Amino acid sequence: MNFQAALALGLPLGIGIAAIGSGIGLGLIGQGAMQAIGRQPEATAKIQLAMIIIAALAEALTIYAFVTMFLLSGKIQ
Amino acid sequence: MGLEFLARVRKTSCWTGAVLALVAGRYVGPGDGLALGFGLLWSLANLFLIERLVVAITGPGHGELPALKRVAWCVGGMLGLLAAGAALLTWLPAASLLWGFLVPFAVLTLKAASQLILGSGTWKRFARHPGRAAGLIVALALAAWVVAPLLARAAAETDSTHASSAADPTPAEPSHGAAPGTADAHGAAGSHDDGGHGESSGPQKFANFITVLSRAFPDQPWAHFLHQYEVVFFSLLVALVVSLLAFFASRNPKMIPGPFQNAVEALVEALNDFIVGILGPRHGPRYVPFLGTLFIYILAMNLFGIVPFLEAPTSSLNITVAMAITVFLYAQFIGLKELGVVGFLDHLAGNPRTVTQWVMVPLMLPIHVLGEFAKPISLACRLFGNIFGEDMLLVAFVSLGITTLAFTGLPFGLPLQVPFLFLALLTSTLQALVFTVLSTIYFLLMLPHDDHDHHESHESAHPAH
Repeated sequence: MNFQAALALGLPLGIGIAAIGSGIGLGLIGQGAMQAIGRQPEATAKIQLAMIIIAALAEALTIYAFVTMFLLSGKIQ
Repeated sequence: MGLEFLARVRKTSCWTGAVLALVAGRYVGPGDGLALGFGLLWSLANLFLIERLVVAITGPGHGELPALKRVAWCVGGMLGLLAAGAALLTWLPAASLLWGFLVPFAVLTLKAASQLILGSGTWKRFARHPGRAAGLIVALALAAWVVAPLLARAAAETDSTHASSAADPTPAEPSHGAAPGTADAHGAAGSHDDGGHGESSGPQKFANFITVLSRAFPDQPWAHFLHQYEVVFFSLLVALVVSLLAFFASRNPKMIPGPFQNAVEALVEALNDFIVGILGPRHGPRYVPFLGTLFIYILAMNLFGIVPFLEAPTSSLNITVAMAITVFLYAQFIGLKELGVVGFLDHLAGNPRTVTQWVMVPLMLPIHVLGEFAKPISLACRLFGNIFGEDMLLVAFVSLGITTLAFTGLPFGLPLQVPFLFLALLTSTLQALVFTVLSTIYFLLMLPHDDHDHHESHESAHPAH
């Protein structure tokens, strides 16, 4: 296997694995936030703000994988 | 034109000189940039000493001992300056030193001239009528349009080294497909630049009107220039649109606002409440202009990607990295200003108070410093990745819609991308919000902690690092 084949196999797999991880993370964040809002509806704004921030941090990991794929995909001829 | 005017001249020359020195250091040569900076410093010190000398001789209390002492100091300083100037002349290129030396005088002349012009009757006549002012601006723009290519051609003929450095990004484009090993540094910029060319290997984007123009005039240098800097052009266009909207909304404010003023006021008020709610009422209002502008600017740039024949500047790393660096530098500036140098270092060391914490400092300091540098990288990559991914998603579904109807030979396809346009609206708003919120939190972490939000800011410190 030359390195281009390895890249062509590995890049989509990398994105998929990263997406699994941050998908689980986002689901947990959403679950926690929804439960918190359900228990304390008057604190909705604060909870949503924290949820968005942490969701952005979790989602960033997939984005890093995506950017890596984008940077390396030019090497696959 | 008193001493206050001279102080303003000094300040302006410092800024102009810094920018000029950086530009010269990049495009002419590092030595020339250094020489320009030193020439400027020399000139400023010289002017300062002359000013002190004149004040000491003619000011109140002249002829007495303290004033005479000051005169002696100034004369001694000028002699030292002359010696330093001689050393600089042998050490650095003389032409750049001369340019740097001339900067304060140019600033002085221009400032004096602008004061004369602003006070004159002709200017007042032009400025009072919007029609005349617009006509003047259009005339100036036309003159610049005619003169700039001539100047550029003359400069290209006389100065070949400058031309080669200006055309530096171009070789990255063909080498991107031919030699991947050499093009990895230019990967992002190169494959972005050739998006829109059918023959390129990079990911293809929607054609915007600049790609259309550059295809219609493939031989024109201005079309090539526009195509190469289309991201910058679009970001400036967004800035222009936002500025014009703000100008027209606030030009004629009424107590009972019209619908337009009402909408803008509601947006500004919501942003103000939001940011002050995070930063607290003591520090918040000072940073609302920067952070709120960031939100509106990013939102407008993201939404540009959905409009046909326009492009989202944020789908290029160049723009997002520029904004992230701005936020980074501003956060460090806030830290240095609000905490002081010692407090800033103390913050970077993790606020050590007990013996255990002091022992941990060699470990915590690199972690905090790395965390500071990770923030702008993650900000830039997140915004770029989201908006770029959104663009790519739309492109993929548009091409899918075209290929499904390709067998009919019709000049249109199925509008399969329509549901994803709403997703794009969502991500555009969300990413602008996330960028603003994270910037706000980076500022919050740098601000001195009040007793009220002490607990809260330390909690949010952990996910951010």
